[in-house]
Amino acid sequence: MAPLQKRAFYGLAFGIVWAIALVLVFILKGGAAAFDQDAAFRLLIDGLWIGGLIVYLVLFDSIIRRSKHFDERDKIIMDRSARIQWLALLLSMVGWIIGLSEHFHDQRQVPIVFLFLMFIFTLLVSSIAQSVGILIGYWKMGRNG
Amino acid sequence: MADYVISNRIRRLRFDHNEMTQQELADLAGCTRQTIIAIEQGKYVPSLELAFLIARAFHVPLEEVFQFVDRD
Repeated sequence: MAPLQKRAFYGLAFGIVWAIALVLVFILKGGAAAFDQDAAFRLLIDGLWIGGLIVYLVLFDSIIRRSKHFDERDKIIMDRSARIQWLALLLSMVGWIIGLSEHFHDQRQVPIVFLFLMFIFTLLVSSIAQSVGILIGYWKMGRNG
Repeated sequence: MADYVISNRIRRLRFDHNEMTQQELADLAGCTRQTIIAIEQGKYVPSLELAFLIARAFHVPLEEVFQFVDRD
């Protein structure tokens, strides 16, 4: 297994744990209404997403800098994974836009807290989709060349 | 569909060069062992730069390592 492929597996596992942790904390602490009012809750969520992002950056950045572990084939796969990332982001934005506009249609406005939640969700989706894209890239290259 | 393939003799050349391992070749060419495996199996066609580096590792001209042949 290529070093980048291994990192993508770790990244996917971490991304899933990270997403579950964020969702669990969010639900257990009272959801969007509590998030809007409780500064400590917001700080906790901030810590979780920023911490997760740092782990992700370290995970992938450390491998890209080592030429012995990251070559032209890995770069091609990594570049191609951006397509999966882009598609996942697009789909998640479509989900958010339809969900929010339908849910808050009668009020004619969306609470500002959802901007922040959209951002965190998009970040999660982007990170997980990158790992998935890399794994799909290795699988496709191994199958078709 | 392209009617040609780029084949290679890397496995043969490794054998001829004192049974050089894939890792040794990867180290000489500056790529990962997995990329050497993929090239040997015909699942990845390297860039011109990597192809030259592989040829240099064997001290042979490029066309002794890679061949441009018709599919049929």
